[in-house]
Amino acid sequence: MSPWKSTTLALALAGATMLASPALADFDYGKFDGVTLKVKLIGGTQYEKLYTRIPEWEKLTGAKVEIVSSKNHFDLDREIKQDIAGGTVNWCVGSNHTSFAPQYGDLYIDLKEKIPAEELALYVPGTLKSAEVDGRLVQLPRVTDVSNLYYNKRVYGDPAVQARYKEKFGKDLVPPATFDEFKEQAIFLASPPNLYGTAFAGKDEGMTGRFMELVRANGGDMFDDQWNPTFNGPEGVAALQWFVDLYNAKAVPAGTVNYTWDDIGQAFAAGTLALDLDWPGFAAFYNDKDKSKVAGDVGFAVAPTGAGGKRGAWSGSHSFSVTESCPDKDAAVSFVVFMTNYDSEMLEAEAGNLPTRTKVFEDVVAKFKSDSNTYMADMFETWEKSLADARTPPLVPQWIEVSNVIWPQLQAAIVGEKTPKEALDQAADEARTILEDAGMIQ
Amino acid sequence: MTLFRSPRAVPYLLLTPALVVIAAVILVPLAVSLWSSFTAYNLTRPATLYSFVGLRNYARLLNNADFWWAFGRTLVFITVTLNLELVLGLGLALLVNQVTMGRKVLRTIMMFPMMFSPILVGFQFKYIFNDAVGLVNNALFDLGLITQPIPWLVDGTLAPLSIMAAEIWMSTSVFAILLLAGLLALPKEPIEAAKVDGCGPIQVFRHITLPFLMPFIFIAMTIRSLDVARAYDMVRIMTNGGPAGRTELLWTLMARVGYQNSQMGMANAMGYVSILTSILFTVYFYRKLVVARRYMGGVE
Amino acid sequence: MSGRPLTIEKPWQRWLIRLGVFLAMAILCVPGVWVVLTAFRPNVEILARPPVWIPQDPTLNNFLGIFGLLPAQQQGLPVARYFLNSVVISLTSTAVAILLGMMGGYAFARYRFRGKGALFVSFMLSRTVPGVALSLPLFIVWSRIGLLDTSLGLIIVYLAINIPFTVWLTDGFFRQIPVDLSEAAQIDGCTRWQAFWKIEFPLARSGLASAAIFAFLTSWNEYALASQLTRTTASKTMPVGLMDFTAQFTVDWSGMSAMAVLIIIPALLLTFVVQKHLIAGLTFGGVK
Repeated sequence: MSPWKSTTLALALAGATMLASPALADFDYGKFDGVTLKVKLIGGTQYEKLYTRIPEWEKLTGAKVEIVSSKNHFDLDREIKQDIAGGTVNWCVGSNHTSFAPQYGDLYIDLKEKIPAEELALYVPGTLKSAEVDGRLVQLPRVTDVSNLYYNKRVYGDPAVQARYKEKFGKDLVPPATFDEFKEQAIFLASPPNLYGTAFAGKDEGMTGRFMELVRANGGDMFDDQWNPTFNGPEGVAALQWFVDLYNAKAVPAGTVNYTWDDIGQAFAAGTLALDLDWPGFAAFYNDKDKSKVAGDVGFAVAPTGAGGKRGAWSGSHSFSVTESCPDKDAAVSFVVFMTNYDSEMLEAEAGNLPTRTKVFEDVVAKFKSDSNTYMADMFETWEKSLADARTPPLVPQWIEVSNVIWPQLQAAIVGEKTPKEALDQAADEARTILEDAGMIQ
Repeated sequence: MTLFRSPRAVPYLLLTPALVVIAAVILVPLAVSLWSSFTAYNLTRPATLYSFVGLRNYARLLNNADFWWAFGRTLVFITVTLNLELVLGLGLALLVNQVTMGRKVLRTIMMFPMMFSPILVGFQFKYIFNDAVGLVNNALFDLGLITQPIPWLVDGTLAPLSIMAAEIWMSTSVFAILLLAGLLALPKEPIEAAKVDGCGPIQVFRHITLPFLMPFIFIAMTIRSLDVARAYDMVRIMTNGGPAGRTELLWTLMARVGYQNSQMGMANAMGYVSILTSILFTVYFYRKLVVARRYMGGVE
Repeated sequence: MSGRPLTIEKPWQRWLIRLGVFLAMAILCVPGVWVVLTAFRPNVEILARPPVWIPQDPTLNNFLGIFGLLPAQQQGLPVARYFLNSVVISLTSTAVAILLGMMGGYAFARYRFRGKGALFVSFMLSRTVPGVALSLPLFIVWSRIGLLDTSLGLIIVYLAINIPFTVWLTDGFFRQIPVDLSEAAQIDGCTRWQAFWKIEFPLARSGLASAAIFAFLTSWNEYALASQLTRTTASKTMPVGLMDFTAQFTVDWSGMSAMAVLIIIPALLLTFVVQKHLIAGLTFGGVK
């Protein structure tokens, strides 16, 4: 094919895409014939659907994409750190996450220098802001996560349960609006071993994150402006007490301190949980008849508020980053924009993920409604309400390390080895040492 | 070329390829990690590999209660599992040795757990011991033995026992197969003679079978103490050291400090303490083995 | 080598032993059999409460799924590729480990030389280094010399893991073969080399077979190092592929169990075939 012809073809293709989605028109994806882009992408079914769009980008730009790695994020994180250590960063684009991104130092470029401001204006402003590290946009968000309530309608809609609840508490059984109500209902509804009130991620960053969410909902926070730990204050103690109470009342499976997201998701899908404060990615799974026993009986409610009358709204985004060492940065930037453009985001959203482009939110709800998929339309409307409160963990390189000293202490309190105050004081001491060593606390 | 032709060079020549491979895969990396244990090496900042801090990592370890707990727990874990595996493996070998029918199948079944990758054993037992949907609790419920689920992987006593159970399931076969080999090699005459003298089965076992098996026992112990760290994959999947550090072993602690917290220098200092410990274990069993070999009349 | 040390006379003792064997075998089998059953269950049944003991709705979908043969699915896993990598890596490293280990074992058994004892012990001690401590330095070295994510890189690592045990077993084997046999052959005009292949090698065969099965099972099942040193289908092995079933939020138990069955079957078949040699080989290998 002559260069002339390929240009016309590209123009024709660009024209075709333009018609399909007007939002695309401004960004120039460029031509990169002969370029092979090495990429490391997060694996797993709910993320891989997007990668079916890769051939389209290849066709559009003439470049080739070589996926050199596809793993879950914890393994990917380990691999990226090894690459930094071994000097083997020979790839261009990597999947990233807001909680992990600050650790990687100057591995990734500032995308604000490469992507026009008009294009960036199309992303959800808060999501984009939390993708920055030290003012540098090191990643382009692809999906956002924030948790809300799933509830099992078979439990909540059972007239006998409703009557008992009304008799005991003098009010109707509706999904909880506050964390106190959440606890009350979880304890009330639990009848182990076939039904538990709820379950929580009891280890790793999942535990720290949920705790942080409650601390913030109670009006506190993890650190003050000088990075002194404040999570051992009264708000923190109350937050930890919430987990302890649920655990002691056997409203959660005793194994919950060893659970991570998959265990909780499986338990809710098996119909053994009444309530589940969880991520949007589960919505489609819970309603899939082949995989879930509660399909058709899943309800949504906005996450409860804490003693401070606020929502903690622990949030994070999956994203794409471009490496400093990439020889074809323009191609890489074109790729990450394409993977988060309107059509890509629509694809993500239709699969049940929260998109990062403002317009997609409205359009996907409209699309679900026109397909009479009220379940997913409901889910998006519920989640959109909590997005305004969304807050990431502190975006510092030490977050994961600090989290690793906090969650074992939280566990110790939950299983009754320590009082919440003792556990939090010790975690605060250890966290302080880390931040002092890192020079964050002067 | 005369050097290579000299008969004195032959054993060295024969050993060279093996030595080269082991040096490349074990010694070089070991030297790198020894160096890094004296630095403030942080995984995400390669330059820190050259910031020498002397014995700081080791000094910090001395005062690190979590580390010493994990260290103690690892010692207990190794001691308990190796001994139980030995006893159970011996029992299994004795039983299987008594059966004449279907030997081939029986021996293959005896080795069945050896087919399982440690990581697979981890997933399997995590699922078996799951408190809500696990096999063990389901069975206990259906037999009416419990009304509340038992939190196998959480309880302070049960969680370490559960990972030990998984480890024992995984590795008893190694003992059993080695000891069965020993039993099959057992000479018949002394036993017959003892029987004629009126010895009961227990006496025969104590005074004839067991002494004969001792070298096999020490071999099995040596082999197992060499690769007991394989249990890391399994524990990482089952509990990853939790909850509240109740199942934290040196290996899980090292991996977390090194990879998640990026403090590779510190992790390698831990690694060296762990290597020295396993060398002690191995040398202990090996010396026992040498003594037992002499008893068997083997060549030094 | 006669196999029946204790003669059991009374029938009740016989039955007791049979019961004991049955129970022991049941305990050894149940966790494994459970995985096999899970591989044929639909996901809904796996996590059901109350539990479903016998599969009510057995299905091959989990196997079809991992090969990407289900209509509703976008893609499968490159399981065939992982399997091939595993086979190539395990067989090659086993064969070479046996060769190099046999050379080493012969040197220890037949020659006196300086530093022999220390060398023998340090061979064994090289295995005490936990994989977790090796993985990062190995990664750095391997990436510098281009062995990262190659089958060769992994083969070399497994060689180092398997050689010490092979040396040990074969050393014991060569020792129990009388030196006179080989010397007699040499007097008859054989070179030492010919004497080795004609006399000593055939006698040591079952020792080599048992060393080989141990080496094979170790390489076939190794995860900790393989997960660090492999990255793509170019070298990923079956146990590493198992982790493909864990995503951020979900673990696909049914798919994972199906994959587990695929890992176990070849190892099981191989063990069944060589187990006679295995026992014979272990009998004298390490002891004398």
